[in-house]
Amino acid sequence: MQSVVIAGYARSPFHLANKGALARVRPDDLTAQVIRGLISKTGVEPADIEDIIVGCAFPEGEQGLNVARLIGLLADLPLSVGGMTVNRFCGSSMSAIHTAMGQIAIGAGEVFICAGVESMSRVPMMGFNPLPNPTLAKKSAAYMGMGETAENVATKYQIGRAEQEALAVESQKRAAAAREAGKLSDEIVPIETKNGIVSEDGAIRAETTAEGLSALKPAFDAQGSVTAGTSSPLTDGASAVLVTTEEYARAHGLPILARVKSVAISGCAPETMGLGPILSSQKAMERAGISAADLDVVELNEAFASQALACIKDLNLDLAKVNIDGGAIAIGHPLGATGARIVGKAAALLKREGGKYALASQCIGGGQGIATVLEAVE
Amino acid sequence: MSDAIKKVCVIGAGTMGAGIAAQVANAGVPVLLLDIVPKEGTNRNAIAEGAVAKMLKTDPAPFMSKSAAKLVETGNIEDHLDKVAECDWVIEAVIERLDIKQGLYAKLEAIKREGTAVSSNTSTIPLAQLVEGRSDAFKRDFLITHFFNPPRYMRLMEIVTGKDTDAAVAAKVERFADVAMGKTVVKANDTPGFIANRIGTYWIQLGLNAAFDMGLTVELADAVAGKPMGVPKTGIFGLVDLVGIDLMPHLQASLTSTLPKDDPYQGIARSHPLIEKMIGEGYTGRKGKGGFYRLNKEMGRRKESVDLKTGEYRESIRAAGPSGAAAKGDLRKLVETKGPVGEYAWAILGGTLAYAASLIPSAAADVVAIDDAMKLGYNWKAGPFEMIDKLGAAWLAQRLEADGTPVPEILRIAGDRTFYRVEGGKRQFLGLDGVYHDVVRAEGVLRLADIKLASKPLLKNSSAALWDIGDGVVALEFTGKMNALDGEVMKLIIEALPLVASKYKALVVYNDADSFSAGANLGLALFAVNIAAWSEIEKLVAGGQMAYKGLKYAPFPVVGAPAGLAVGGGCEILLHCDAVQAHAELYTGLVECGVGLIPGWGGNGEMLDRWQKNKMMPKGPMPPVAKVFETVSTATVSKSAAQAKELLFLRADDGITMNRDRLLYDAKQKALALVDGYTPPEAPEYRLPGESGRVALSMAAEGFRKQGKATDYDMVVSDALATVLSGGDADLVDTVTEQELLKLEREAFMRLVREPRSIARVEHMLETGKPLRN
Repeated sequence: MQSVVIAGYARSPFHLANKGALARVRPDDLTAQVIRGLISKTGVEPADIEDIIVGCAFPEGEQGLNVARLIGLLADLPLSVGGMTVNRFCGSSMSAIHTAMGQIAIGAGEVFICAGVESMSRVPMMGFNPLPNPTLAKKSAAYMGMGETAENVATKYQIGRAEQEALAVESQKRAAAAREAGKLSDEIVPIETKNGIVSEDGAIRAETTAEGLSALKPAFDAQGSVTAGTSSPLTDGASAVLVTTEEYARAHGLPILARVKSVAISGCAPETMGLGPILSSQKAMERAGISAADLDVVELNEAFASQALACIKDLNLDLAKVNIDGGAIAIGHPLGATGARIVGKAAALLKREGGKYALASQCIGGGQGIATVLEAVE
Repeated sequence: MSDAIKKVCVIGAGTMGAGIAAQVANAGVPVLLLDIVPKEGTNRNAIAEGAVAKMLKTDPAPFMSKSAAKLVETGNIEDHLDKVAECDWVIEAVIERLDIKQGLYAKLEAIKREGTAVSSNTSTIPLAQLVEGRSDAFKRDFLITHFFNPPRYMRLMEIVTGKDTDAAVAAKVERFADVAMGKTVVKANDTPGFIANRIGTYWIQLGLNAAFDMGLTVELADAVAGKPMGVPKTGIFGLVDLVGIDLMPHLQASLTSTLPKDDPYQGIARSHPLIEKMIGEGYTGRKGKGGFYRLNKEMGRRKESVDLKTGEYRESIRAAGPSGAAAKGDLRKLVETKGPVGEYAWAILGGTLAYAASLIPSAAADVVAIDDAMKLGYNWKAGPFEMIDKLGAAWLAQRLEADGTPVPEILRIAGDRTFYRVEGGKRQFLGLDGVYHDVVRAEGVLRLADIKLASKPLLKNSSAALWDIGDGVVALEFTGKMNALDGEVMKLIIEALPLVASKYKALVVYNDADSFSAGANLGLALFAVNIAAWSEIEKLVAGGQMAYKGLKYAPFPVVGAPAGLAVGGGCEILLHCDAVQAHAELYTGLVECGVGLIPGWGGNGEMLDRWQKNKMMPKGPMPPVAKVFETVSTATVSKSAAQAKELLFLRADDGITMNRDRLLYDAKQKALALVDGYTPPEAPEYRLPGESGRVALSMAAEGFRKQGKATDYDMVVSDALATVLSGGDADLVDTVTEQELLKLEREAFMRLVREPRSIARVEHMLETGKPLRN
């Protein structure tokens, strides 16, 4: 199999939905700006791009009508570049990367832009017309609210509120420090909005303390332990990575961040969907022939602190290596955009921090996990 | 000079100034709110901005909508006073200091356009002093406009003009205050305290003095000087707690220094050591550490009262106040009650009524002005002269004489006559000339009460009546307690339909009451439930659906004209009208879920239709369904007519009348405007999601239950609602008719009404007036 690499990563700033600085920005415009930023940052020749694959969890409204194609047109890419929207809820844009790899493997192109977007301000979670199948609703937890699944994981793994809050505080602390040190500005494409340019993340709460979090009311279950402070916030944002062959990247002098070593998908019980990364990461690591001890960088999406902690525990991960610049509780989780962000981030961190292997993994509503193992390129 | 007010400036962003600015904005008129530059900080507009921010959090809200708040532009008097040149009316509401006010006017004089009205909201300073040193041109544009707190909700505005005030300027301001701001304007003379506060302060002072002198408890005092007198139940001590005990010495000092030496107030103005002590220690009322009443949080929120003898707090007691007729508005019985109840009542009423009567013509031109001022400024049910009519003017004069109190001239003129009478179908009042004069309504003011004096109803039964209000328009009036709706109302509607169709042009649904309708008569419904008369209940539901659809599809226009509360069935009838002309203070919503039921008179379909046709809704079957479900399952009630539009209880082109007295007239005009070429609406058709939609709504409701925001039984009620709104067994490729939806509504209602937990909710509501969360 050809060596496939991540040769560039960019994202918009992430902002709280509804009240944040990107609430009035259309998701298609937002993604087009990120893609233009990625192209200019990497210097890739637009005409060489085979396809733009955009992950989106709720591809309707302004995210509908095969938004990937529209984004390509908005970004003024050559008309010859294709566009495809993929949906695997929160795993959408990581799936976009996996899809591109598959295309490369079957000789169906060499250069792909894999992006992800979610405006949770403009397209509500569940979409505009939630119409669950009544029969399935009776026999399965397929439609269960995400907060409730986080409570289930907390109960099953006996992860108390204080432990969840400690992770949230750490995530906020790391994200705030990274922002402070300018470590996030490399990846952020400043976004033009009607109210001026937005170039910094808006969801991070640097002032978060354990004491402050302990005063919050449970958000999903009055008797539960999960609060708004230990959940990722509703977020607006877009992200993109350049996926290509190592050969093409070298030939065109593109900045190689990391090689994609292996990928995996797995299903799990919908009512504990937060455990999805466990099996998918195990499968991906096995395919890469490595174990958790070999990992130098881990990007594990913090949909909720409870599920992240459960995964860290079961996968035996070293907390010091997980979400080095903070996780989704702090930075935000624009559903469709998260996959490309954490793969791009893991690749960039592997380059920045040094080391051999990185893992990016996330849970997916409805009961799935998705994982990508990256390898440093000499 | 333009006679329209298109922009207003309010200077002084204290509670009154900011509240006045909010009411101008509520009228849809841009307003500039200025205050001084704060001594600290870098934001020079901080005071005015802070006032607006605070108002956005205040409950009851000074603003009627968020869009109204956007009409307020903030600034400071150092940088932005030149913007006064853009304004047609400048309202000064700064601190009550003559030098500061005069200094401000000097600056305004240099900036403002000629013809731009300047008015002071002073409550104490005479107009003549305010304009000292100003030019003739300034004096022509100057007057006093005295608002009451809170300006949105208190209907009174006293207007005082000086000898130099241009009548056209005063008329311009009066018209704006009346039509745009919704105030009832009472003309007062340039005398201290004007009308309402002059009498109100006298009344309070008498009440305090007598309670201390007689050694009463505050509970007994307020039990006498409250409801039995037609006064808000706060009485006197409760009212002082509310407005601030520390305000009392200021009012006293102001009035004693400005009133003539021989004014009766000079003789009763006293300070009480206990009150001084309370103020000194920070017990200034509800805003302070406590007042004559307080909730003791250390004692589990125990209700406590001050013992006027010892000055110490003790647990509140239930006072043995007036009983029988004396408690229910028979003032003669009240003052003649033996013992402290009667003595206290007489001490306050006798003195206050005599004082009020002595103020004509010095403070007010006639009895109507004084009665209006006290009813609208102090929320008294009856004004002083209406109270005198209850006591008997001759009786009062005699008793005053017996007490050695001087009898005011107007009482002697009245002799054994009343101050008000109805003659030739018109309400008249007694003038100082000893002759009766018609009570004149301003143009554009129409009261059903006046029509009722002059005519007989076209139809009438125990719960409703139909009146000819002229020009081919009839008014449907609810007459039951709280204007509750029952089978009789529906019967009258059905009878009215052919009558109006054959002999009249249009129908207005209106009544003069504070509350348009509290909805279905739950007491009656509960009675039917208790005897298991299910078929009767079903008949009531079906009958209501039929009557309301009858109004909707009648061959003549129907206009709803609600004011105040219009909930449940009272909201549903509005949803069936061709148009609504609403008073700005409209509190409407479908609140049935609160009593374990769902709307049963067609409200579900009407709301669905509105949201389906709303262009802001995303496509697909769910958004309108989810929106109505959210609004109805949470029993959302609008806090203004403007907000009712946001919730689609009103349509975008429905009218809003700011002045309550103008509502019926405006509604009648709206109805007449619809007459030419009127065609009834077509029945809506619905595309509904069926069971899938119901599951989605139930999942949302279940989330609220888990969060502790909904109860187990809320799930049962909301599932019934979800079943109706999602169209029952409908498939989203099918069309659901209005009749099919009405059937679903009836079935769901009948299921719920048999549920013991719904019945418990109804019983609880009837007993306590509050929803039961079971």
